[in-house]
Amino acid sequence: MYKDFKLGKEDINILKGINLDIEQGEMVALLGPSGSGKSTFLNVLGGLVPPTSGDIMIRDYRISEMTENELCLFRREHLGFIFQSYNLISTMTAMENVALALTFAGVKKEIRRERAIEALEVVGLVDRMGHKPSELSGGQQQRVSIARALVNHPEIILADEPTGNLDSKTSADIMEMIYRLNREENQTFVIVTHDPDTTKYCTKVIHMRDGLIESEVNQ
Amino acid sequence: MKFRTILTIIGVVIGTSSIIVMVSIGNGAQKSITDELSGIGSVTTLQVYQDLSSMGMTSMGGGKTDDKTILNDDAIKDLKKIDGVVAVTPVVNLNGGEIEVDREQYGVSLMGVDYAVLEDMRYVTTSGKKPGANDENSVILGKDVLTSITYTGASTQLTESEVNPEDLIGQNITMTIKRTNANGEEEMKTQKLKVTGVLEATGGNEDYSIIANYNLVTELNEWQTGRKANVKKQGYTQALVTVEDSSVVNAVTTEVEAMQFTVFSMQQILDSMGSVFQMLQILLGGIGGVALLVACIGIVNTMTMSIYERTKEIGIMKVIGASISDIRNMFIAESTMIGLIGGLVGIVISLVLSVLINLIAGFFIGGEGGVTISFITPGLVIFALVFSALVGLLSGVRPAIKAANLSSLDAIRSE
Repeated sequence: MYKDFKLGKEDINILKGINLDIEQGEMVALLGPSGSGKSTFLNVLGGLVPPTSGDIMIRDYRISEMTENELCLFRREHLGFIFQSYNLISTMTAMENVALALTFAGVKKEIRRERAIEALEVVGLVDRMGHKPSELSGGQQQRVSIARALVNHPEIILADEPTGNLDSKTSADIMEMIYRLNREENQTFVIVTHDPDTTKYCTKVIHMRDGLIESEVNQ
Repeated sequence: MKFRTILTIIGVVIGTSSIIVMVSIGNGAQKSITDELSGIGSVTTLQVYQDLSSMGMTSMGGGKTDDKTILNDDAIKDLKKIDGVVAVTPVVNLNGGEIEVDREQYGVSLMGVDYAVLEDMRYVTTSGKKPGANDENSVILGKDVLTSITYTGASTQLTESEVNPEDLIGQNITMTIKRTNANGEEEMKTQKLKVTGVLEATGGNEDYSIIANYNLVTELNEWQTGRKANVKKQGYTQALVTVEDSSVVNAVTTEVEAMQFTVFSMQQILDSMGSVFQMLQILLGGIGGVALLVACIGIVNTMTMSIYERTKEIGIMKVIGASISDIRNMFIAESTMIGLIGGLVGIVISLVLSVLINLIAGFFIGGEGGVTISFITPGLVIFALVFSALVGLLSGVRPAIKAANLSSLDAIRSE
């Protein structure tokens, strides 16, 4: 799979031929220096940017050929996202942020609330559900965003440096939680990170460099 | 709610209320004038005249005359045959009569109509009764017949008799008419008239006339002019056609015009006034519309600003599964709400303004029972509400499409 970006007049090849299989229930770490293309790879995987050439198949779905609208519907049902900067909506409470993903799926209000609380229970934040993101610590905000990624029960969760903004203690807590979810729910995780500590929770560690896979280690 | 949004709503409020108030003033003018006109004269009476243009042709050509264009007895019969016509009477007028009531002289004119159809005509007497078909000398007095207007230089003086016309019911009054004979001498003739009733105000000529039997008026006319009227050849100058109700007025008018007569009815005046007022309303509404157009630009601006501000939020929503139409509908709903709220508040403000305008106008103009300068119809309210919501919706379309088409990744990365 290839991905080019236009930078001014020049085409920059970010991904220069990635070939990778990920099994259901795996927990994959993508490591590499900045500019190696790991975040781009994750975004292409989530359908946020189309690949220049090549194919992405998730189960029977050919992501690389979906329209924007089909991608939206696909993400709604099968994918969850966790970002380094949490990306919570600042005007909404923790509970509303989590329930938002269900709103677009057309879930009824009471059920949305019920399931949002359920997801917040999983991340241990039920007591904070009425708080706005600005009233929560970084770790708590990240846990809200994990709850939001979980609330649709997606098969795959894509995480872009989930612990990048957190101290090592909180990072460990978050990774423990992700590890637990991976074990208990058999959800597939693809985690972009540059923190080697993160990799110890993962079943597969992929090193990337200059848009190529340098090494792929199962552990 | 953001201050910016409130300002935008105020823009819509000003736009909506200026349209409503402007159009309501057009409405008010139309209502007060049509009310006034409908009060005058019956809408079910058509005045028929000989066609003026064909009369001119006849006199110039001096040749044969088309029978149809002469308003004679045959024509009267034909008029009566038209569907919806209840009564037709020729009208003869006699001017220059004088009556003396309570030692005061009043100039009067007689209006001679066919007493045989008097019952079918829509004349209403306030008191007394209508004369029978054969009452040669019985008359009905117009409401203002005892009011004489005298012009003294620049000013006009209105003299109103202390005698109420109704007091004359059952009495005989004496009318005097004059003529100058062949030798240049003035001759006088007196005619006794028996008052049987007083006519309710019509606003037309009848108010200042005495309704008399057609035969009597013709007789007096012949005496005054010294020659016999040749109705068969020259026709009557005027006929009154009474129709069943106002709905057939236009149909009857068309038929009478097809007989080459000139028709004059209140309905025609009201119709032509209607189109004038429609123009006036479009003009006034257009002036208000400019304010709403400005408000519309305000909505587009607010929505566009809001999208820039919420780019990240839109990106997040798209990433977690909002479809293009979800985002688009969200913004369109928002701008429609701005239009709708603005419209609702605008309607309330217009209703208050309308009452105030009428109150203030009433204070300056005076008059009983208030003045209608501004008149808001339910239709206008509904129109304003739908229109303002529509303006909001349409203003939101472009920004909403812009929002929906934002790249989710770029949007989520923006700060």
